[in-house]
Amino acid sequence: MADLAHETMADHEHPEHESTGVDNRKLGMWAFLSSEFLFFGALISNYLLYSNRSGFAGPYPSGIYDIPFTSVSSFVLLMSSLTMVLAHNALSRGDQGGTRTWLFATAALGAVFLGGQVFEFTEFIVEFDMKLTTNPAASAFYMLTGFHGAHVAIGVIMLLSLWGISRRPGGLSEKHGMNLELVGLYWHFVDIIWIVIFTVVYLLSVPS
Amino acid sequence: MSSEEHIHHPTPAQYWKIAVVLAVLTAIEVGLFYVNQAYDLGFLNAAMLLILAALKFVIVVGFFMHLRFEKSTLSRFFTAGFILAFSLYAIVLTALGVVAIRGG
Repeated sequence: MADLAHETMADHEHPEHESTGVDNRKLGMWAFLSSEFLFFGALISNYLLYSNRSGFAGPYPSGIYDIPFTSVSSFVLLMSSLTMVLAHNALSRGDQGGTRTWLFATAALGAVFLGGQVFEFTEFIVEFDMKLTTNPAASAFYMLTGFHGAHVAIGVIMLLSLWGISRRPGGLSEKHGMNLELVGLYWHFVDIIWIVIFTVVYLLSVPS
Repeated sequence: MSSEEHIHHPTPAQYWKIAVVLAVLTAIEVGLFYVNQAYDLGFLNAAMLLILAALKFVIVVGFFMHLRFEKSTLSRFFTAGFILAFSLYAIVLTALGVVAIRGG
């Protein structure tokens, strides 16, 4: 009985035992993001392998890219990283209103990026007749950018969830502060993956 | 949030400056793309675009993800994953004949 009481008390005093000195949830998120390099690395490598394979019918992605449009999309996603870090900074200063505003701005910029991707895919399919199964390059392109878009969509859902919580009376608590930080890490990761995709898949793929 | 987070993080004004740097680097990338379309810079174009992308990558990870202000445990986790993935796919792409991306 005494042991049980001691154990319960210890649980309340030290809810999380972290031998690394880093919050376990944060360490878990960094480990997850680290593993995501392998996931996106496989998809980017797949694209590089098939993007220039000749002998297949239909247009190749590198022949129909709209670089000005994608540049604007890239800029939008890059700026969403700024609004995300401003949301985190606002919460650390106890500025609930600022947190709400920047969280919503981040979700909105993410939604704009997704809208751009939907427009791009629609244009490729309707205008240029480049479907998922048209050729291996098209498949690799849709797989890579589609999975990245899915990551962005998940990020937008998480951001809107946090924004919804922040609108409750009292706003985001310290407990939610860690959630916001984890969502922020995920969001910035999605941005750095796009930095690589924009350069390697778009800018370097178009023949000069 | 842990206490060390409040010590070294940049101010909002510094975050805006970092974002301007990122925007300028993106503009240079796009500008370089069009210069290459006109003059075919070859390997130089690929090298410069990859360096610019690497710069943007490091800035976002270091300042927006706060990795340069975090404990070294997190840096090791992240760097290990990146080096593992980069090495693996560099070997695979080299073995399968995709040595240079374009312009080489």
